[in-house]
Amino acid sequence: MRPGFSPRGGRGGFGDRGGRGGSGDRGGRGGFGDRGGRGGFGDRGRGGFRGGRGSFRSPEGGGFRGRGGGRGAPRGRGGGRGGFGAGRKVTVEPHRHEGVFICRGKEDALVTKNMVVGDSVYGEKRINVEEGDVKIEYRAWNPFRSKLAAAILGGVDQIHIKPGSKVMYLGAASGTTVSHVSDIVGPEGLVYAVEFSHRSGRDLLNVAKKRTNIIPIIEDARHPHKYRMLVGMVDVIFADVAQPDQTRIVALNAHNFLKNGGHFVISIKANCIDSTAPPEAVFASEVKKMSSENMKPQEQLTLEPYERDHAIVVGIYRPAPKQKK
Amino acid sequence: MASFRKALKSRQRNHHERSQPGFREHLGLLEKKKDYKLRADDFHKKENTLAALRKKALDKNPDEFYYKMMSSKLQDGVHVPKRNDEVVMTEEQKKVMRTQDIKYVEMKRVAEARKIERMKGELHLLEAESKQKNKHTFFVDSKVKVESFDLANHLDTAPELVDRVFNRPTLKTLETKSIQGAVEPHSIMKMTRQRNHQYKILSQRIDREKKLFVMSQKIQTRKDLQDKNNKVKVKKETANIAAIYKFDTKRKR
Repeated sequence: MRPGFSPRGGRGGFGDRGGRGGSGDRGGRGGFGDRGGRGGFGDRGRGGFRGGRGSFRSPEGGGFRGRGGGRGAPRGRGGGRGGFGAGRKVTVEPHRHEGVFICRGKEDALVTKNMVVGDSVYGEKRINVEEGDVKIEYRAWNPFRSKLAAAILGGVDQIHIKPGSKVMYLGAASGTTVSHVSDIVGPEGLVYAVEFSHRSGRDLLNVAKKRTNIIPIIEDARHPHKYRMLVGMVDVIFADVAQPDQTRIVALNAHNFLKNGGHFVISIKANCIDSTAPPEAVFASEVKKMSSENMKPQEQLTLEPYERDHAIVVGIYRPAPKQKK
Repeated sequence: MASFRKALKSRQRNHHERSQPGFREHLGLLEKKKDYKLRADDFHKKENTLAALRKKALDKNPDEFYYKMMSSKLQDGVHVPKRNDEVVMTEEQKKVMRTQDIKYVEMKRVAEARKIERMKGELHLLEAESKQKNKHTFFVDSKVKVESFDLANHLDTAPELVDRVFNRPTLKTLETKSIQGAVEPHSIMKMTRQRNHQYKILSQRIDREKKLFVMSQKIQTRKDLQDKNNKVKVKKETANIAAIYKFDTKRKR
């Protein structure tokens, strides 16, 4: 047959239409078994070790990411470029608390300045803002996941965490909130992150690897003497331990590490203390307990609409005695 | 001359259809042209339909074959489908299909939940008026201080900002720092519009997720009902809740 006449001339007739994929040595497109580089199994034809979607060199390429984030954060787009995109417009207004910002554009978010540029800790969004030549990256801080963020958006007066302060964080979990606290305190500050569970402690360690101002401590916060050699005096203790005796735990740590006139911020989950009593009563009894431990509460804030039956109590430890007139 | 005629027309009285004469008033209102028209059109339509059907019946060829004849029969002059003795779908198959339905709905619900989670990560309800209000308590030392308590003063912020709960910058912050990024009123308006749209999408997604959940529950209930166990209905099905049944306890082996 003349080549011009044949309906499928040189392409190989009927038999092997999918020939490129199945048996061909290129092994690329077409066949089912091996879909090129897109995260297939075993033998993937081309590019032996190039991980999934991102390239290996990209700052947060698919190869490195591995786990999707602390508590199973959904990550839609996987690797590639994170963030809202530099080109898009946002306004960033400084917040009452130093180191915290409000970012408003298409999004409506509480953010902190990212200390490790180009890195998301738990799959949170990043926002790039350009002011002239300076590029600043912010990370969204989800109040639905973090009690501290919920308290900030709820209008708490003081969090006592600011650039340069030394913070002890009890109940650090996977280090999602801890990463934002480390953003706030910056390179001059320090965060001692205490977490008992080994499983989430592993994630915490990974966060601490990239953020040098976090000191992870995988230890029971009920026994501060076990980590006393690691920790110096701190300015503020933040506690999110959700234990029935959490006030005692905080008090123990305060007696050991908190400076006089230092502050504490305690998040209380009413259910964890006493699930039968009404939440207000639980909060009140906890506040009373604090007063007996030399911890003087200054304000209390419930966390609606982000959390139900939660409260944050902020106070001062061993305040300086009042001047007699 | 024409203008004269027009001028005359403007003065003449409008024509009115006559109304029912007094002595026939007991017969009701007199029918007007437009009423008659409606009635007549309707009548003619029916008349035409009847004629067409009659013609079709007359034109029918009694020897003609239709495939439908194989699966139906005449019963007292009416076509009824022939009984098919073999059951099209067994109970078992139905159950499997229900399971597949549930799985599909559940998959969609989970996808929706993921999207909600992602949107919540960047939409923090800053200015939303929520039903649940939070409660902020300050502890002060003496009664005198309680009486002289001033929120703006205590928070060290401008009185206008007291209600702006998500960010009440201190006076010092207001003096020393400034807003970065887009600040032109035009782009702020645009961003507000986009943001509101995002919130709308979020609320729709939350709504959809709830509906999908109810749906999967309802299918599950239907599936459970197929079992031959004894059960008592405890609660009726509503739009938002699947029906609740109480099943007899049965030992599982």
